[in-house]
Amino acid sequence: MAASPDISFENVAFGFENERIVTDFSFKAAPGQHTLLKGESGSGKSTLLKLLLGFYKPQSGTISVNRKTYDAQKVRKQTAWLPQDLNLGAGTVSEVMDKPFEFAANQSSQNKNFEQHRIRTLKTLGLAPDILDKQFRDLSTGQRQRVGLALCHLLDKPLLLLDEPTSALDEASKQKAAELLLDREHTVISTSHDPFWVAQADNIIGLS
Amino acid sequence: MEIIDLTWTQLGIGFIIMLVPAYILWKYRTGLNKKLLTASVRMVLQLLFVGYYLQYLFEYDNPWINAAWIFVMVAVADFATIDRSDLKRKWSVILPIFGATFFGIIVIDLFFLEVVIQLPKLLAAQYTIPITGMVLGNCLRSNVIGINAFYYSLNEHQERYQFYLSCGATRSEAVHSFFSDALQKSANPTLASMATIGLVSLPGMMTGQILSGSSPLIAIKYQIMIMVAIFSGTILSVYLGILFTNKFVFKDTDMLDETILNN
Repeated sequence: MAASPDISFENVAFGFENERIVTDFSFKAAPGQHTLLKGESGSGKSTLLKLLLGFYKPQSGTISVNRKTYDAQKVRKQTAWLPQDLNLGAGTVSEVMDKPFEFAANQSSQNKNFEQHRIRTLKTLGLAPDILDKQFRDLSTGQRQRVGLALCHLLDKPLLLLDEPTSALDEASKQKAAELLLDREHTVISTSHDPFWVAQADNIIGLS
Repeated sequence: MEIIDLTWTQLGIGFIIMLVPAYILWKYRTGLNKKLLTASVRMVLQLLFVGYYLQYLFEYDNPWINAAWIFVMVAVADFATIDRSDLKRKWSVILPIFGATFFGIIVIDLFFLEVVIQLPKLLAAQYTIPITGMVLGNCLRSNVIGINAFYYSLNEHQERYQFYLSCGATRSEAVHSFFSDALQKSANPTLASMATIGLVSLPGMMTGQILSGSSPLIAIKYQIMIMVAIFSGTILSVYLGILFTNKFVFKDTDMLDETILNN
């Protein structure tokens, strides 16, 4: 895994048509630290993660990664993102988890011990190995969230973007998720309303 | 046995049977009778036009005129594909779908007409026009299913597409599963008709040949060939249609330009 990056937003503004989502927004996420974006629903937390992923372009201001000019392709290769509502389509859990490893950028992450590593990760998050044979769309929201967290861990990327990662988890699973992902080796940017997850943050950035 | 020509009066008598479905549609207040009337008038006028035009085409039998007619048929199919796929008529869609359909038809025509049948004359009208029409009609149907499935599914499930991109997928890797679904949906109707042909229905081309006095054995050989041409042509045009439009309907953020969709 590459070294965890530092991320910087400087005076970023973005909106859709006539709706302004973020205005003159700046923050820094230091390498290996967990930065939490906190704010009301609709305050633009998820949009900021998508700006960082290059799905939207800032209307003004700059985003930089490791103090270099932003390049969406490079950022995506370094990132594992857990969206709020993870829907990986038709197929068994095993099939949908395999899919990201079919991409050229991730083929080196799936080594010969991958299957054991995957089962160990799922168990850590309280999921029995037989979940791999179930249809992903039949899983509960909490199970999907844990599969998504497992995938973020298995992708072994230096930057983790986690959008409300514990919204459907019980207390024990939250603890396990924090142990698995907040290991100081990754730069983590997350959004959350959950007091447990908020307490895990090194920096809290408020959005109004 | 010589073919029995239909008089215009006989054809008019044939239309009397239409009163039965029209009554059923009226009784259940489907509101479809106005559409039925429009569709019937259009069908008659279009076929009259084509009938007279084909007579002219067959008389001259010039490969350039025949190729120009194919060009016109593809252009009409292009707009019909876009409208029925619920896409907007934008150049970023019109040109790639036209290119895909035209290229697909030309490849199929040249292969079957010039390599398989080995026409004595390049693009001879008697073979080129009906075979192109049959393949193109099916390409239109499959393009509508495939292109609509691809773009509306991508728009509906954009979080999944974004998730793949966020994992480092290239755009073509990220749309791969949407592409696969669209190809499956567009191939299914042709596969189903291939699997039941001859048992459930006698296809139009074969029926036409038998009616005009051909031996059933000649008719089935042509029918087998046309089914192969239709299947190959439809898959090729759907594949190229999605591939070509993909080059023009994404923003530089890799997000779909949603303004191509009607809703």
